[in-house]
Amino acid sequence: MQVGLFSELINRKFQNIAENRYREIVERYREFFLSEEELVIPRIFRVFMLLDRYSEKPNDDVYETLKAYPSARVCLLYVVEESLVRLVASTLGDEEAEKLRTLEINFGNNILDEVESRLKEMKFEVERRFVFGVKAEEPLKFKDDCDLFIISKHYGSETSKTYPVSPMVYRIVQHIEKPIIIY
Amino acid sequence: MPVTAQEIVALSIFTAVYAAIMTEKLHRTVAAMVGASLVLLINIVPWEKVPEYLDLNTILLLAGMMVVVNVSRESGLFEYIAIKTAKLSKGNPMKVLLLFSVVTALVSSFLDNVTTVLLLTPMLLYITRQMDVDPVPFLLSEIFASNIGGTATLIGDPPNIMIGSAAHLGFNAFLLNMGPIAFVDLFVTVAIIYLVYKGEMKSHGEREEAIKLAIMSLNEEEAISDPVLFRKSVITLGLVILGFFVHDRLGLEPSVIALSGASLLLLWSGASPETALEKVEWATLFFFGGLFIVVGSLVETGAIAQLAGWMVGHISGEGGAVLIITWFSAFSSAVVDNIPFTATMIPLIKAMGGNLNMLPLWWSLSLGACLGGNGTAIGASANVVVLGIAHRESIRISFGDFLKVGMVIMVSTVAVGTLIIWLRYIGL
Repeated sequence: MQVGLFSELINRKFQNIAENRYREIVERYREFFLSEEELVIPRIFRVFMLLDRYSEKPNDDVYETLKAYPSARVCLLYVVEESLVRLVASTLGDEEAEKLRTLEINFGNNILDEVESRLKEMKFEVERRFVFGVKAEEPLKFKDDCDLFIISKHYGSETSKTYPVSPMVYRIVQHIEKPIIIY
Repeated sequence: MPVTAQEIVALSIFTAVYAAIMTEKLHRTVAAMVGASLVLLINIVPWEKVPEYLDLNTILLLAGMMVVVNVSRESGLFEYIAIKTAKLSKGNPMKVLLLFSVVTALVSSFLDNVTTVLLLTPMLLYITRQMDVDPVPFLLSEIFASNIGGTATLIGDPPNIMIGSAAHLGFNAFLLNMGPIAFVDLFVTVAIIYLVYKGEMKSHGEREEAIKLAIMSLNEEEAISDPVLFRKSVITLGLVILGFFVHDRLGLEPSVIALSGASLLLLWSGASPETALEKVEWATLFFFGGLFIVVGSLVETGAIAQLAGWMVGHISGEGGAVLIITWFSAFSSAVVDNIPFTATMIPLIKAMGGNLNMLPLWWSLSLGACLGGNGTAIGASANVVVLGIAHRESIRISFGDFLKVGMVIMVSTVAVGTLIIWLRYIGL
C-alpha cells in the first residue's frame, strides 16, 4: 500500500516535471541505439562459399569477416554449368566437350586450391566440392545446412554497368533466408 | 507576542501550498500560483511590494540558462557527451559507475539536474542492459552524483541560485566553498555505492568482448544532428561559463551573463526564438514566482521575523547555527521540495543576521538544501525523474530501497560538508 502510494506520487511528479521532455529525448536516442534484434550476434557453425569461373577470388575483407567465426567449418563449392558442356557436346562433339570439361576442372581446382590454402592458414576446417550442375540450383541444396553464405557478385555471369550484381546472384539470394555476404 | 489574524491566514495558505507541492495532488506551479493569488487578493502582500519579493535575478538566470540549454540540445551536444562517456567506460561496470558519476556531477554543476539526468539516464540504462547487470546501483549513483554536482556551483541547483541572489554571493564564492565539499562527497558516494553493491560490479569475462563491441559500435558523430550549431553551442556554453567565473570582477549579476549567453546563441545560431522560447519551462518559472510571493506573505506579516527571533534566542553562536541550519535543512529537504524550503529559509536566515557571521550560515543552507535531497526518493527533482524513467523501463526501486541507501549517503555527505564548513569558519 505504502509502496503503491509513493510510486503514484513519483509518477505524478515525473509527469509534471519531465514526461514530455523524456519522450523527446528517448525518441532521439532510438535513432542510434541498436535494437534487440541488431544486438544478437548470429551463431555460425558452417560457412558456404560459392565459386565459379566468373567469381572473383574472395578479398581480404571476406577473410577478415571469417575470422569472427574461428570454429566454423567452411564448405567450398565450385560449380560448372552442365548445360554448357552438353551444348558443346551436341554442337562441336564429345571430344570438344571433354576438352572443355578438363579445362573447367583445372581452372576450378586452381581456384579451390588457392582459397583452401588461405583458409587452412587461418586454421579453418575446409571441405571442397566440385560439381557439374545448374548454377542457380546447386547452392540451394545447401541452404538448410549452412549458417552463412559467401558469394561473389559476379557469380554466374559477368556484371555490367546496368547490373552491378549478376542476375544469378539475385535469384539465389531470394531463396536463401540465412545471412549472405556478397563481395 | 500575539499571533495576528493576517499571520494565521498567511501561515494557512503557506501550509496548504506546501502540502499541495509535497503530495503533488495539484501541479506545483498551480499550487504556488493559487497561493500567490490569494495573498495578493486579500492584500497580505501589497502589489507595490511584489517586485521586492519576486527575485528576478533567480528567475532570469533560470530562464537564460533554459534557452542556452534548449538551443544547444537541438545540436545533439548532450547525447554526444553521453555516448563519449559510454565508450570511455568500455563496458566495464566499475568504470561505468565512476565515469557516469563524475560526468553527471560535472554536467549538473553547470546545467540543471533534471536536464542532466534526463539526458544521461537512457544511455546508462542502455549500457547496463548490454552489460547484463542490475541497473539500480548505477541509477542511484547517478541521482546522488547529480545532486552533489549541483551543490558545487551557483548555477548547479536552484537553491544555490536563490541563496546566491539573496546573499549576493558570486559564482567563484560558491565554487571555492561548495566545490571542495562536492568533490570529496562525490568520491565518498561512489565508494559507498561500490561497497553496498560490490557484487554487481563484476564484469562478465566470457561476454566482455561482445559487450565492448555493442558499446563501441555507438557512433557519437551520429548524435550530432547539426554540426554548425554544435560548434556554436560549445563556444557559447564555454563563454557563459567563463562569464560566470568573472561576473564578480565585471560587476554583473549572474542572470545578466545567462541572458547574454541566451541572446548570443539565438543571434548566432539563427534559431527561431519562438521555438527556443516555447521550450523554456514557463511552469517552473511561474512556480518560483508564486513561491516567492507566498513566502513574502510570511515576511510581510512578521511571522518569519518572530521565528528568527526565537531561533536566535535558542542558538548559541555560529557553530550552533551551522549545525542546526545544516541538519534541519538536510532532513527537511529530504521530505519537502528544496525550492520552497530554501525560499522559506532565506528570509529566516536574513532575519537571524546581525550578531552572527552570515557566510557559514548560507553555506550551511546550501549544503543541507542541496544534499538533503539525496535522503529520500522524493527529496529532489533528479530523484523523481530517474525513478520515473526506471518505472517506465520496468525497473523497480521502492521508497524503502531508496531510503536505505539515500539516508546513508545523505548523512555521510552532509557530515563531510559540515566538517569542512566547521573547519573553515568555526575552527577547532
